[in-house]
Amino acid sequence: MTLGMSAAMEIIGSFADEHLCVRGIEDLHKAQVRNLRVFYPFPSHRIEHAMGKPKSKVRLFVLIGGITGILTALAITIGTSWEWNLVAGGKPIISWPPFIIICFELMILFGGISAVTSFLVNAGLPAFESKSGYQSRFSEDRFGVVVKCDGADSARIEKIESILRNAGAEEVLREAA
Amino acid sequence: MSAQVEPASALASGAPVAPAGPVAGTAFKAVMAIFVAAGVIGFALNVGGANAARAWQAYLVNLLVWLGIAQGGVVMLAAFYLCNGRWAGTTQYRLAETFAGFIPLGFLLFFGLYFGRTLIFPWVLHPIAQKAAWLNTPFLFARDGIGLAIMTVLSLWLVRLSRTKEAAEWQRDSESILLVPNPIRRVAPALAICFAIVYTIIAFDLVMSLAPVWRSTLFGWYFFAGAFWSAAAAMALVAVIMRGLLGGNNAFKNPQVMRDIGLTVFAFSIFWIYLLFAQYIVIWYGDIPVETFFIVVRAYYPPWQALSYAVVILMWMIPFLTLLGVRPKKTPAILGAVALCGVIGIWLERYVLVVPSLSPHTVPFGWVEILVTLGFFGAFVLCSLPGLDRLAASAAREVWVEEHE
Repeated sequence: MTLGMSAAMEIIGSFADEHLCVRGIEDLHKAQVRNLRVFYPFPSHRIEHAMGKPKSKVRLFVLIGGITGILTALAITIGTSWEWNLVAGGKPIISWPPFIIICFELMILFGGISAVTSFLVNAGLPAFESKSGYQSRFSEDRFGVVVKCDGADSARIEKIESILRNAGAEEVLREAA
Repeated sequence: MSAQVEPASALASGAPVAPAGPVAGTAFKAVMAIFVAAGVIGFALNVGGANAARAWQAYLVNLLVWLGIAQGGVVMLAAFYLCNGRWAGTTQYRLAETFAGFIPLGFLLFFGLYFGRTLIFPWVLHPIAQKAAWLNTPFLFARDGIGLAIMTVLSLWLVRLSRTKEAAEWQRDSESILLVPNPIRRVAPALAICFAIVYTIIAFDLVMSLAPVWRSTLFGWYFFAGAFWSAAAAMALVAVIMRGLLGGNNAFKNPQVMRDIGLTVFAFSIFWIYLLFAQYIVIWYGDIPVETFFIVVRAYYPPWQALSYAVVILMWMIPFLTLLGVRPKKTPAILGAVALCGVIGIWLERYVLVVPSLSPHTVPFGWVEILVTLGFFGAFVLCSLPGLDRLAASAAREVWVEEHE
């Protein structure tokens, strides 16, 4: 009996409004509840800010990809010019103006490819199973705040539920995790 | 956290608002008037003597710079309407309108070039037979005069429409899906298209024709993109100055607004260097003397080489490297310094475009150039003061309400 009660449990608060959802997150943080998962139907800077998420690592990979692209372009243009000397119009073999274009294009190409790849890796995509607590309406018009907690700690569960309700949740559910 | 600029109703939130009086005091106006007087006297004393050519060159350079900023601002205004930009309520529209007062004066000053035509345009005294049908005095002043007259009328019309009550209501309500008021929807695109056409012709006539055998098809685009960008830089500079001058939570205190202004400076600086490079690479590839001499005199040999590099540093390298991050855009001191570099850069750029065609081996710079520039600057500021007052009133009214962080 007691063992069954202590199973992990999830409390799911559903919000109809972005601002109310943000308030719910902030109130939970104030009450030292940290292990949240939030589902929202569109990308929201407000919610990301409230969650206190660190900046995405994708930007770093884009930078590395871009620099790699420039270096690759320099290697290709300068390397091939040295390997096969073609004097065109009396210009030097290593002429930088046209190389700039290749550098620019490969910077964009490599940066773009590394952006997509690192986005997929960082976001854990493709994902074939939805995360626990997810409901299809969180992809439609509702915001979901999911809090994982110990099923035995009923005082804490009630406190979390009341915080979510006070913040404006239209529905609060309990679900075994 | 994105903080919205609130409409006038936000006054109730208790944020302090600066009194909306005139921005410039009598002393400031007097200084600007002295600048104008110094410019007029400096020009008048030199135009009859040995420095006449320099006086006229300085006149042309400054006309292109300041009229370009004023006109570019109104085109920015049209651009805001064309893409429904409402990131700073009425303030962004007043900001773009600030310099419009100089456009009529610039239009009149254009005709002053008629009296200096023999010293400015080489083809007046030495006509080029194949190009005489286009490059002749009556046709040049007629077509450019008509073009600038159209731009002046359209600009003043758009500014007037933009200051109506309906327009202000539309500007304030960024959540509304209503279209821009009808008259503006007609004038704004017409103005943008006419700007491209008229300023292409101005670039061909007033800059390219100084080296009459040289040609570059893209030059018109390059020229008016530079004018457009100079307006963005001048707007950023005014925004930073106003931010400090007005006090309270004026609209420019909103970091998001500063970021958006910084973005325009950043973006159109890249566009400018793109057009510069696009012309350079074609001329470099072709390597035809009739095309290369224009670049060679400016970028390959002293004394002009250093100035050309300075232009690229001021107009592209500094804005690009500094404004790449979010934080520098939101830091007024950095944004203001970059914008100041940009305004100096555009002056230098027009100078490097115009003067080497007439004086390839020396850089004529002295009291003549300084005084004429001061004169134009003073006139430009005096013409912009009514616009600045409107901007101040708008920015002080649209207080920035900081959202909960």
